[in-house]
Amino acid sequence: MGTIAPTVVVVDNSPTVKKLFQRSIKDLGVELKIFDSAAESWDYLENNQPDLLFLSIILPDKNGLSLLRDLRKLDLHQNTSVIMVSSKDYAQDKLDADELGVVDFIAKPMPIQVITDAVIKYTLKSESE
Amino acid sequence: MSNNYLHFWGVRGSYAAPFETHLRVGGNTSCVEITSDEHTLVCDAGTGIIPLGNELIKRKTRELLVILTHYHWDHVCGLPFFVPAFMTDWKISIFGPGNDRHDIEKHVSAQMKAPYFPVGTESWLARINYIGPEQEILRHGAMKITHKNVHHPGATYGYRVSLNGKTIIYISDNECKFIEKSVSKQRSELNHEEQTLYDDMVREEHQSELELIRNADILIHDAQYTTTDYNRKRGWGHSCYIDTVNMAIDAGVKTLYLYHHDPNYDDAAIDQIHQHALQIISERNSGMECHVAREGMRVDL
Ligand SMILES: [Zn+2]
Ligand SMILES: [Zn+2]
Repeated sequence: MGTIAPTVVVVDNSPTVKKLFQRSIKDLGVELKIFDSAAESWDYLENNQPDLLFLSIILPDKNGLSLLRDLRKLDLHQNTSVIMVSSKDYAQDKLDADELGVVDFIAKPMPIQVITDAVIKYTLKSESE
Repeated sequence: MSNNYLHFWGVRGSYAAPFETHLRVGGNTSCVEITSDEHTLVCDAGTGIIPLGNELIKRKTRELLVILTHYHWDHVCGLPFFVPAFMTDWKISIFGPGNDRHDIEKHVSAQMKAPYFPVGTESWLARINYIGPEQEILRHGAMKITHKNVHHPGATYGYRVSLNGKTIIYISDNECKFIEKSVSKQRSELNHEEQTLYDDMVREEHQSELELIRNADILIHDAQYTTTDYNRKRGWGHSCYIDTVNMAIDAGVKTLYLYHHDPNYDDAAIDQIHQHALQIISERNSGMECHVAREGMRVDL
């Protein structure tokens, strides 16, 4: 089943972040799904494991780290690769993220290439499997 | 006759500052009471909640709602000395950031443990009701309370309280214009396309920061640092008062209370901040009122 494109999910309510992600993965052949809120993403994530999940911290409803805490309680997401993307990159937030087993923490503003590289790095593994 | 008022019991950020030179502004940490007839709402439980507790036990009502912005010491350290919690006839509801009500209970209880404190929250005799996040809108008498995530280390809330057609917004800890400053610092490393995207993002972020405080009749907001200190302490999660004042003007706030004062600033230093805030408001031809939140200050609503 090597033909299925890896899925990358982004939870962030900023239209510009949406554009930034669309631009960053343009040539990578991955499927991108973007959700505006924790609640909207939950409907999808409850039953689907993306190859890579990007979470913002300040969401219109739940805090992104609280969302991740809830996700980790599901068997499906115990090992999901998660990257936090936030301007809120205080030490306390990074520590919480580490404890929740994120693979990376990207501080906004980040160059387009940083997202591209992260997507390549963390979706390549599932492609080869 | 209705009896609606707001009372500042603690106005300091970080730690209590009971120094002779600071007492005109006040030394206790974050705590604001909003009372509407027999319903009392308490925003944060810093050392200011201790004298409030001593006052509350003289009143008739035996019920209370406490909303916590977050669990940093300056916002919870009054709870171990909050007398109503130790009295059997009280009912206290507590709300704050957390994944569920047990999470909130855990955060509140964590500071009352040996060897840091001789008794735990099990010594509280009042009926304590932790309110979980499924409760998106809280109601307490005539007050309606909603919350939003703000820019500060860890999950931190800002609160919007509606009462008799008035909006009171309480945001004790929040670093305004954070992304704007990050973008301007790194602008030279971004290419043209990225610069355009990030300029859009700054505009977006600015809009959502304004929405947070839009049209407040009363805004109580973090104004902890002068420019010099902000530049030293950028990324600590607090605002420079100049940003707070400008944001409040842009958002159409009617009355701003500068809050969460730095414990290093004495009365004279805070007077200077206030004078400069008033100057900014007048230079911008704004009609916004601006006060320094002072301990003991009472505002009729
Ligand atoms: Zn604080
Ligand atoms: Zn804090």
